[in-house]
Amino acid sequence: MNNPNDLPTGRRQGLLLCHDCHKLVPAAESTGTCPRCGAALHLRKPNSINRTWALVVTAAILSFPANFLPIMRVDFLGTADLSTIMDGIIYFFKEGSYGIGAVILTASILVPCFKIIGMTLILLSIHFRWQSWLRHKALLFRIIEFIGRWSMLDIFVIALLQVLVHFQNLTTIAAAPAAPYFAGVVLATMFAAITFDPRLLWEA
Amino acid sequence: MTKSPSSQTLEQVIACPGCDLLVGRQHLNPGEKLYCPRCNEVLLAPKKNSIERSLALSLTGLLLFPYAMFLPIMTLDTMGLKNSGSIFDGVISTMATKHVFVGIILALTSIFFPLIKLALLFLVSLNLKLKRHPKTLPLMMRSYIHLDEWGMLEVFMIGVLVTIIKIHHMAHIRYDAGFFCFVGLMLVALCSSAMLDEDNYWHLIEEGKRR
Repeated sequence: MNNPNDLPTGRRQGLLLCHDCHKLVPAAESTGTCPRCGAALHLRKPNSINRTWALVVTAAILSFPANFLPIMRVDFLGTADLSTIMDGIIYFFKEGSYGIGAVILTASILVPCFKIIGMTLILLSIHFRWQSWLRHKALLFRIIEFIGRWSMLDIFVIALLQVLVHFQNLTTIAAAPAAPYFAGVVLATMFAAITFDPRLLWEA
Repeated sequence: MTKSPSSQTLEQVIACPGCDLLVGRQHLNPGEKLYCPRCNEVLLAPKKNSIERSLALSLTGLLLFPYAMFLPIMTLDTMGLKNSGSIFDGVISTMATKHVFVGIILALTSIFFPLIKLALLFLVSLNLKLKRHPKTLPLMMRSYIHLDEWGMLEVFMIGVLVTIIKIHHMAHIRYDAGFFCFVGLMLVALCSSAMLDEDNYWHLIEEGKRR
């Protein structure tokens, strides 16, 4: 492991790895598509760094309206009450439901922050060729990939509340302006993890 | 660059999708895993009876699907007013508001993609089980892999639990049949993904293509 340039890699052996079915194809024999599954073959995901940067920046920008605009509107006896994600979390903590408050805090605020900061760190580390902690950065990326979908939680909760808490004019619940931005953050971070090629970390 | 190796040697080698290291393929027993020595990515994870189990689980999922989506999951009762709703109602009511974009994402991640995933897994497993190799088989398998993380039934399940905790002291909750069907569907979908041995599936698809 002392000299990373001696390790056998696909690139050094002139082998292309299919992104979809993981078949190895010699670059010299490649016709551009995988002979097994038909996916387009690339040595690395095309434009990986640029696309990932663009999506991470998009997610970071969308985070502001997602967190500062109200995400849920409760109409109770004719009076409207708008609440942001943070209001909802504070409500649970005040009520003494620390467990559920922690779950929502994690899924809606900590996870999106973690994804954006984590991907930025990984991208900067490639840009500046920081070659330390590679195994940890690989692990960081796998965590980001895994947790990506879990921040949709709040959107699902609002959709369910909207249908279930619907008592004529007494109480109704609806999604408020932050909802599409919030969904946008989740989509952008998930796509960022898809467009990123973790092999680039090891070649920086 | 060295001379390109023969296809037979290539089948004895795996390139790590996480770091591109070439690792020799090893024979593993079901349940064992091969990790990349450099970046710790899981390279191989063979499963026992992967085809039969995926087939059974995806079929169960498909049978549960309409009940989990269309039956009301719970009924709320407060001050004599009753109200119930299904997962489908939740998605449709969001679509019907001005938040169409959110509604579409909900419809895709909680109804459409989970259904397509189950159907694709069922079709691919059935074809492999019957040793039939239609031309669309690789495409179906690829679509399944791409859709994998976009079906979000588990996340929705946690959403149902959070909703229950949010409303349990403002109304009496009665759990309806849809709730249990949804829990079942979520578990079956989760297990069907966990039982899938991708490497073995691709290997069989390739063998079928050669014949």
